Amino acid sequence: MANFNIDATKERTFQAIVIGSGMSGSWAAKELCEHGVKTLVIERGRDVKHIKDYPTTNMLPYEFEHRGQIPQAVQEENPVVSRCYAFKEDAQHFFVKDKEHPYVQEKPFDWIRGYQVGGKSLLWARQVQRISDLDFEGPSRDGFAVDWPIRYKDIEPWYSHVEKFVGVSGNKDGLPNLPDGEFLPGFPLNVVEQYFADQLKKHYGNDRHMILARCAHITGNLDYYAKQGRAKCQSRNLCQRGCPFGGYFSANSSTIPWAERTGNMTMRTDAVVHSIIYDEEKGKATGVRIVDAHTKELEEYYADVIFVNAAALNTNLILLNSTSNRFPNGLGNDNGLLGKFVAFHNYRAGVSAQYEGHLEYTTQGGRPTSGYFPRFRNLHKQETDFLRGYAAGFSASRGTYSDQNSIGMELKESLLNPDKYGPWHVGSHMMGETIPKESNYVALDPNQKDAWGIPLLKVNVDYDDNDEKMIKDYQEQMTEMFEKAGFTNIRLRDDKRAPGLDIHEMGGVRMGKDPKTSLLNANHQLHSVSNVYVTDGASMTSTATQNPSLTYMAFAARAAHHAMTGLK
Amino acid sequence: MKRRDALRSLALLTGGLVLVPSCDFSKEDILGAYQNLEITPTLKQLLAEIADTIIPAGNLKGAADIEVQDFILVMVNDCMEKEAQQIFMSGLKGFDDFSKKSTRDKFEKLSQEQRETLVLEGLSTEDESQQVIKNFLRTTKRFTIQGFMVSEYMQTEVKPYSLIPGEYKGDVLIAELKPERING
Repeated sequence: MANFNIDATKERTFQAIVIGSGMSGSWAAKELCEHGVKTLVIERGRDVKHIKDYPTTNMLPYEFEHRGQIPQAVQEENPVVSRCYAFKEDAQHFFVKDKEHPYVQEKPFDWIRGYQVGGKSLLWARQVQRISDLDFEGPSRDGFAVDWPIRYKDIEPWYSHVEKFVGVSGNKDGLPNLPDGEFLPGFPLNVVEQYFADQLKKHYGNDRHMILARCAHITGNLDYYAKQGRAKCQSRNLCQRGCPFGGYFSANSSTIPWAERTGNMTMRTDAVVHSIIYDEEKGKATGVRIVDAHTKELEEYYADVIFVNAAALNTNLILLNSTSNRFPNGLGNDNGLLGKFVAFHNYRAGVSAQYEGHLEYTTQGGRPTSGYFPRFRNLHKQETDFLRGYAAGFSASRGTYSDQNSIGMELKESLLNPDKYGPWHVGSHMMGETIPKESNYVALDPNQKDAWGIPLLKVNVDYDDNDEKMIKDYQEQMTEMFEKAGFTNIRLRDDKRAPGLDIHEMGGVRMGKDPKTSLLNANHQLHSVSNVYVTDGASMTSTATQNPSLTYMAFAARAAHHAMTGLK
Repeated sequence: MKRRDALRSLALLTGGLVLVPSCDFSKEDILGAYQNLEITPTLKQLLAEIADTIIPAGNLKGAADIEVQDFILVMVNDCMEKEAQQIFMSGLKGFDDFSKKSTRDKFEKLSQEQRETLVLEGLSTEDESQQVIKNFLRTTKRFTIQGFMVSEYMQTEVKPYSLIPGEYKGDVLIAELKPERING
C-alpha cells in the first residue's frame, strides 16, 4: 500500500505544471518541453486535435442547417455568448455556453470563453501588433496604475522568437508606436485603403498612419512551417472553424503538437483546477489540485514550478481560490490587490461611410486581415482631456449585388447574375485603451459554486468618464479623417456593448516593481511565491491599445526561460 | 443535419406524416417536424407554390424543385421569435383568403402570371388590413432567396462554391472582368 502511494505520487509529479492550453499556456509548454522539462499541461475542457476535431472545417454553406445562424432557442438560453461576432453555427462548439458555466455579473460583462485544448486560440481574430515603450511607459508618464517593471528591450527578443514560430504576415512600417517584427510577406491593401493611407499622409504628415494590420498567418518561408505540419494561408476566412492547413496560428496546430513531439509533455484534459497547493514549510507552491470534470473527484499533481495561464479572469479565480494559512485571501495576495485593476479594450464605437471614387475598381479573393490605425492620440505628450488613446481597424470593400425588387424569372435572372456595383463601403472600429482601476475587479462569490464546487466569479467592471471622452474623440477624429478623404454618408456607432465582448480582458494579477502595489515581478513570478508564474492577460499592468495575444505569448516564452534557469 | 435525419426516419415510420392526436377528426394532420408551427401538408404545399412563384423553374430548377419550402419552415421554426412565427402562420393560413378576395380563386387555381401579380400585390400592399400577408410574404421571399441561392443545387451544379477563394487582389479593373451570364 505504501509503495502504491509512493508510485502514485511519483506518477503525478512533474518538473513543471502549466494550467491552461491556450495561447499563452501552450507557449509556456512548448518552451519548457523543447528544453527537456517534463511538463504537465492541465486543461479544463476536452481535447481538440488539429484537423480531426474541426468538424465543420470543410463544410459548404448549404450544409449548415440554418446557413450559419444560431437558432432562437439557443440564443435565448445563451444571451452572452450569442453577442459574440464569431458565435455562429460553424464555430459554436468551441464556445462556452452561458448556462454551462455561470458567473455573477455585478455589472454587465460579456465573458467569452473557450474551454478546450487550444482555448480561444482557435477562435481569435489573429491580429498581432507589438506594444512599444510608448505603452510600457504610459502608467508612469500619465500617473495611473503602477509602472511596468519591464520595457520594450526586455520583451523585444521574445516577440521575435514568437513571431518567427507562429508566422506573422505584415509590412515593416518603421513606426515608433508599433515596432516592426519578423514579418512574412504582407497581404495587399486594396485601392481605396491605399488611397486613404495616402490621404492621411497628405493631411497629417507623419502623425497619423493607416497600415496593413499584422496577422498570425503564414504567407512565406513555407519549408520552415512544414516542420510544424502547417502550410500557407489559403485566405479561406473560415479560421474560427479550425484551419486544416494550419494557415493561422492556433495552439492546436502549432505549439501543442510541437510540445507533444518532444515526449516531455503530458496533457491532462477535462480537469478543472480547484487551487494551487502551497507548502508553508517549503515556502513555495508544490502542486495543483484539480476536479475531474466528469467524475468530480479531486486529484493532485505536483511540480517544482507552476505556470498559471488559464486566461485572464480564470487565472484570477484560481489564485483567489488558492487559500492557505499563509495566504488566506488567495495565493500571493499579501496586499489585497489580487483581482483588482482589471481592464479591457473599449470596442464600443465605429464609424462607417461610403466612397464614390475609384469606381472603376473592385476586389477579388479573400484576405484574413485588414487595415490598422496605430494609436496617434497622446503619443508623445498629453494633448487631450482624456488619458491615452485608441487604435482602430479600417477596411474598404466593394462587391456586386443584384436587384431583388421583382419576383419570378426577373428576380431569378437578377440573382444569378449579380452585376451591380454600389459605392465602396469603408468602416472603422475603435480599440481604446482603458485605465486599470481598483474599482474594476473580480472576486469570488462567497455563496454560489459551480458544478465542480468552485466558487463562481463575480465580475464588477465598467466604463468610466475617460472611456466616454475617448469614444467621442474617436468618432470626431475619424469623421474628420473620412471627410478629408472625401468619404460621404458618414455614420457613427456606439453600440453600448458591455465590457468583455472585446475579449481582451486583462489584469488583476498585475506586474510591478513593488510587492506592496503589484502581484508579479519583472519575471512574471508572484512576488511572494517565486515558483508560480502568471504570463497571460492577468499579468498586464496596463492594456495599451494593441491586440494583446502576441504579448502574452512573448511573456510566456520569456518567463519559461527564466523558470528553466531555476530548474537547472 | 440532425433534423433531416430525424425527418427521414419519421417519414419512413409514418409515410410522411407525424400524427398529432386530435379530437377533431375533420382536421388535417400536423407535420411534427416543425414543432413550433402548425403545418399541415396543404399549408406546406401552398408555401411551396408561393416560393415557386418567387423563383420559378426555367432553364434551371425553381424553388419548389429543390424543396425550398422545407428550408423556409426550418428557419421560421428555429430562428424566428414566437411573435414573428405567429404572424408568419397567420399569413400562410390567411393567404388563400387573400387570394380569393383579390382573384376569386384559391392560389392553386391561378396561372403563373396571376400568381406573380398576386404575390407582388401582397408584397407592396399599403392596406392596413393586409399587413400580416405582407409580412408573411416578405419573410417567405427572404428565405426563398436564401434557401435557393445557398442550396446544394446552386453551390454544386450552377455556381460551384469554392472554399478557397484565391489570393486577394485589391485593384481589379471592373472593365476587364467578363462574368459569364447564367440563363435562369
